[in-house]
Amino acid sequence: MHIPDGYLSPQTYIPFYALFAGFLAAALKKIRSVLSAQTIPYLGMASAFSFLIMMFNVPIPGATTGHAVGAGLIAILLGPWSAVIAVSVALIIQALIFGDGGITAIGANCFNMGVVIPFVSYWSFRFIKGKTREGRRVIAAAFAAGYIGLNVAALLTAVEFGIQPLIASEAGRPLYAPYGLSVAVPAMALEHLLLFGIIEGLVTAVILKFFLISDPASIHAMKEE
Amino acid sequence: MFNFIDKSLKSLAEIVGANYVQWETSKKNGLFQRLNPRLKLVFFIFNILLISIKKDVSSEAFLFLIMFIFITVSRLDLFRIYKKILFAGFFFGFLVALPSSLNIITDGEIVLHLARLDGARQFWIYRIPAEIGITREGLSGVAMLCLRVMNSVSVSLLIIFTTPFYDLMKSLKTFRVPDSFIMIVLLSYKYIFILSKTIEDFYLALKSRLIGNVKGSEIRDIIAGRTFLVFKKSTAAYEEVYRAMVARGFSGSVSFYLTDRITAADLALFAAVMAPGIIISAL
Repeated sequence: MHIPDGYLSPQTYIPFYALFAGFLAAALKKIRSVLSAQTIPYLGMASAFSFLIMMFNVPIPGATTGHAVGAGLIAILLGPWSAVIAVSVALIIQALIFGDGGITAIGANCFNMGVVIPFVSYWSFRFIKGKTREGRRVIAAAFAAGYIGLNVAALLTAVEFGIQPLIASEAGRPLYAPYGLSVAVPAMALEHLLLFGIIEGLVTAVILKFFLISDPASIHAMKEE
Repeated sequence: MFNFIDKSLKSLAEIVGANYVQWETSKKNGLFQRLNPRLKLVFFIFNILLISIKKDVSSEAFLFLIMFIFITVSRLDLFRIYKKILFAGFFFGFLVALPSSLNIITDGEIVLHLARLDGARQFWIYRIPAEIGITREGLSGVAMLCLRVMNSVSVSLLIIFTTPFYDLMKSLKTFRVPDSFIMIVLLSYKYIFILSKTIEDFYLALKSRLIGNVKGSEIRDIIAGRTFLVFKKSTAAYEEVYRAMVARGFSGSVSFYLTDRITAADLALFAAVMAPGIIISAL
């Protein structure tokens, strides 16, 4: 899901930087209006938690292991606006320290995983769980939130890849991501629909189940009724 | 059965290791370690943009050579750095892009014939030509992507390994990144190392206790519980840090002051390292 450097043309990554900056500014303003002076330490903690959640490898049925992106879970736990900053900061640290995701692609990566997943997952969760506060429906909503959020972000990423040959080619030669929409979309969609989405949904549901049992009051998406 | 523990421990070790290596290499007496962080950030942004807009293989190859020289004279560990650069180039540049060199994806002059069908086929929106082969245009695209990925990783690692993370983030102020956002990143960076230790302890404890066949669902429940614990510890740490900040006069706003002065020697060094990129951009 992390787009590396070299795959996106400037006419794609520059608008995504601008788009992401807009969401970031809106998120900071929104959280500052609620938390006031606590904003900075709170978001620092949220970002660290968002980063560390990816460190938890979990056994997955089929004798393999996986970890979640965690953006949907963070949005359900902390709210979508906090998740915008928390996930984005985690992605920026990943890019700057570990080289996961490109520097030019930070705007696109933060938009795909830091903006799209939190909002899609959060509202999917709220919509599917409805008025229910416990039980299987809430767990199913958590699974669906993780699954849908990741798949929507993967589709968006595939479109970003797929438009590159259309907008940045020279004499038939692709200059950036070489596969058009007809290859990029099915390739990304299939692997996320059949594998990564299920892992994301499973991890989101398993962790949220524990939060529901131990401290449901700490779940943002359960508070706003 | 328990390889998820080793995977998690490896990820955690990489976090701590990356921090240690970055701290150590940024203190070395090399060329880029001497450059002012703000000027280094300008060099970084200029070169990363240059790498992404150049459209010819020769410019990218020249940039690859220039970055190799800069990394060498900055006295960085060539093996460690080029292991990462070549892996990224091989995986993201070569392996992923290689099928695009076929005329099924990239049309053009075939330089290597691979197969011949009795006629062109059409599957839904996909067209398979009668003659299947690797095209000159496709190969050029793969080479371009490969070099661009390697160059981007090279310039990123050059800056990351020669600049302490704190200085790197503080220099973002030059580009009007809000101080509060820089502070959030710096705080998060510190929390990550503190909480990594908690997670490492948890996985080591789990490893020492697990034996025989344990159900995957039971392990998932244990990990869910540990994630909850990390969340609670994070919340407690944030509350403590906030109280400590308030006790020291924190009122909600943060201002960083750039105390390092840019000297004539900094500017001369900056001009020297920028020169190859400026020449390439003009070609």
